Amino acid sequence: MRTYKKTLIGSTLLLILLLMSCLYPYYGPIDFNHQVLVKDEHGKIIDRAPFPPSEKHWLGTTRNGEDLHWLLLYGAKFTLITAFSVAVLRVLLGGIFGMFLSLWAPFLKSYFNDFFLSMRYIPSILIAYILMKSIVGAPNDVAITSIVTYQLIILVFIGFPSVTLFASDITDELLKTSFVQSSYLLGAGKLHIVRRQLLPYMRSYGILFTVQQIISTLQITMQLSIFGLFLGGINRAGIFGYDDAEDRPKPASLSNEWAGLIGQNFTEFVLSPWIVFVPVFGFFLVIVIVNMIKKELEDNILGIQTMKMKRNKKEVPLSVKIPSKGKFDLIN
Amino acid sequence: MKRLLRAIIRLVLILTGFLFIFNLPLLLGIGKDSVEVNFNMFWENVKADFQYLLQIKDAMYLSFFKELDISGSYKYTMTILLGSLAVIILVAMVMAILILIAPKKVRNRLKSGVNLFEAVPDLLIIFLFQFFVITLYKSTGLKFLQLYGFMDVKPYFVPIVTVSFLPLFLLLQFLIRVIIEEQNQPYVLYVKAKGMGRLRTLLVHIIRNIFPLLVLQLRTIIWVLLSNIYLVEFMFNINGFNRQFGNVIFRGGDFASLIASLLMLSIPLLVIEAAGWLISKQIKGKEVIGL
Repeated sequence: MRTYKKTLIGSTLLLILLLMSCLYPYYGPIDFNHQVLVKDEHGKIIDRAPFPPSEKHWLGTTRNGEDLHWLLLYGAKFTLITAFSVAVLRVLLGGIFGMFLSLWAPFLKSYFNDFFLSMRYIPSILIAYILMKSIVGAPNDVAITSIVTYQLIILVFIGFPSVTLFASDITDELLKTSFVQSSYLLGAGKLHIVRRQLLPYMRSYGILFTVQQIISTLQITMQLSIFGLFLGGINRAGIFGYDDAEDRPKPASLSNEWAGLIGQNFTEFVLSPWIVFVPVFGFFLVIVIVNMIKKELEDNILGIQTMKMKRNKKEVPLSVKIPSKGKFDLIN
Repeated sequence: MKRLLRAIIRLVLILTGFLFIFNLPLLLGIGKDSVEVNFNMFWENVKADFQYLLQIKDAMYLSFFKELDISGSYKYTMTILLGSLAVIILVAMVMAILILIAPKKVRNRLKSGVNLFEAVPDLLIIFLFQFFVITLYKSTGLKFLQLYGFMDVKPYFVPIVTVSFLPLFLLLQFLIRVIIEEQNQPYVLYVKAKGMGRLRTLLVHIIRNIFPLLVLQLRTIIWVLLSNIYLVEFMFNINGFNRQFGNVIFRGGDFASLIASLLMLSIPLLVIEAAGWLISKQIKGKEVIGL
C-alpha cells in the first residue's frame, strides 16, 4: 500500500514555514523589535537584554535585544533552502555519476572508492571544518554570493562520494535483474536501459535519498555553526556588549539563519539558555518532520518489495525470509 | 605481480585523494563576486605538500607534531571513546533484551519510543545535558559533576554520558531489528519446540548468532562517537586530542602533521574494520565446512 499522507502533511508544513519566511518583509518588523534597554517612567534603566521568554517576547530575545521568534521566522528560508538545494545537488550529481560508473566504467569504481577513501575514515564535520575555515572563518570583504557559493560547493562535495557509491551499488543490483538482462538480450542500448528500466526505480530512490540528505545537511550546518562557520559568512556589527580587548566585535551570523543563531550564541548558554534552545528546537522540529517523510517513503519502497516477495512465496512454498533491504543507516 | 601493481595504484590513489581533498580551498579561490578556479596555485601546493611528505629523513620532519602534548590528550580521547563504547554495548544489550522479553503491548510502545530518538540532533542532547548539570549545580550547590575542562582537569563522566546517549539508541534500534529478524529463523522455532525458555534462547543462541552483525554495526557507532567527541571537547573546552588537532590546523602545522593526526584519529575505525573482516572471513570458512 502506498500512502503519502504524512509526506503531504510534512511538506505542507515546511512549505508554509518557507513561504512565511520569504514574505517576512511584508508583515514583520524590520529590526526584529530591537530593544536593548528597558526604562521606567523616570527614565531609569531597569532591565537590559537578553530578556527571557515572556508575554511581550514570546520566545525571549537575544543579547542584541531582537525578538527570537521574528529572527527565527526571518532566518528559516536560508536554512531550509540551503538544506534542500544541497541535498538535491548531492543526489543529482551523485546519482548521475554513480549510474555512469556502473554502466560505462565499472572498472573505475574501485579507484573512485580509493580516491575518496579518506572521507570514509574522517568524520565529515572535520573535513568540512578544515575546508571552510580558511575562507569563511574571518570577516573579509568579498561578496556574499561567492562565500555562499563556496560553502554550497563544499557541502555538496562532502556528501558526493557516499551518494555516488550508493547509487552505483543500487544500479549494479538493478542491472542483475532479469528484466534488464532480457532487455540487453533483445538488443537495447545502454541509454535505453537507463531511460526505460533504471529511471523509474531511480526516481523513488532519488526522492528518498534527497530527504535523507536534507537531514544530514541540517545536522552538519548546525555542527559547523558551533565552530563559527556560519552560512553566508559573518556580520561585521557583531553582538552588542561583547567587544573584546581590541574592540573587535564577537562574530555574528550575517543571514540570521538558524544554525548561525545557535553558533553565535552558544557561549551565552549558561546565562540565558533560551537563546540557544529556541533555534535548536526549531531544528529538532524540522528534522522530526523530514524524518517522518523519510520513514513513510522508506516504508513505501520496502512495501513494494515485500509485496513482490509475497507473490513469489505463493509460487514457491519454501521461501526465504524477507530481506531487510531499503533500510538505510544515516551517518551524518 | 599483478596484485602488487594494484596495491601500488591503490596507495597512490589514496594519497592523491588526500592531497586533492585537503587542497581544495586553494583550487576554489574566492573572487570579488564569484568563485574562481585557479589551477596553478592548487597544483603548486599539491606538489609542495607531496615533496614535503617525501622528506622523511629531514630532522624537522613532524617537529611541530612532536611538540604537542599528543600522548596525554590522545589517551584521554581514546578513554572517552572506549568508555562510551563499553557503556553503549552493555546498556544497549540489556535494554534490547528487556524490551524483547516484555509483553507485546509494552514492547511495541517501547519500540516506537526508541524510534523517536532517531530524529534528535546531537547538539540538542549536548545542550540538554549541559542545562541539566548547571541546574543541578544551581539548585543543590554541589559540584559533583565536572562539566568544563580547565587547565589540566579532564572530566570523564559528563562527556561519556553526553557522547554515548544518541549512539546508544542507534545501536538499540539496530539490535531490536536484527533480533526480531533472527527470531524468524527455523532454529528458534525448533528450540521452542524442544521446550527451551524464551530468555534462554535469546541469551544463549540469538545473541551469539547476531554477534557478527553487531561488530559490523559498531563501525557506524564509532563514527558517530568520533564526531560527537569532537563537538563535546570543543564545547566544553576540554584539552583532548581534538584540541591538538585544531593546533595542527591553525598554528601552522604542516601537511605531514595533519596526516599523522588524522591517521591517529581513524585508528579505532581501522581496528573495528579489521575485526569485522576477520569475523566475516571466519563465518565464510565455517559455511564452506558446513556445506
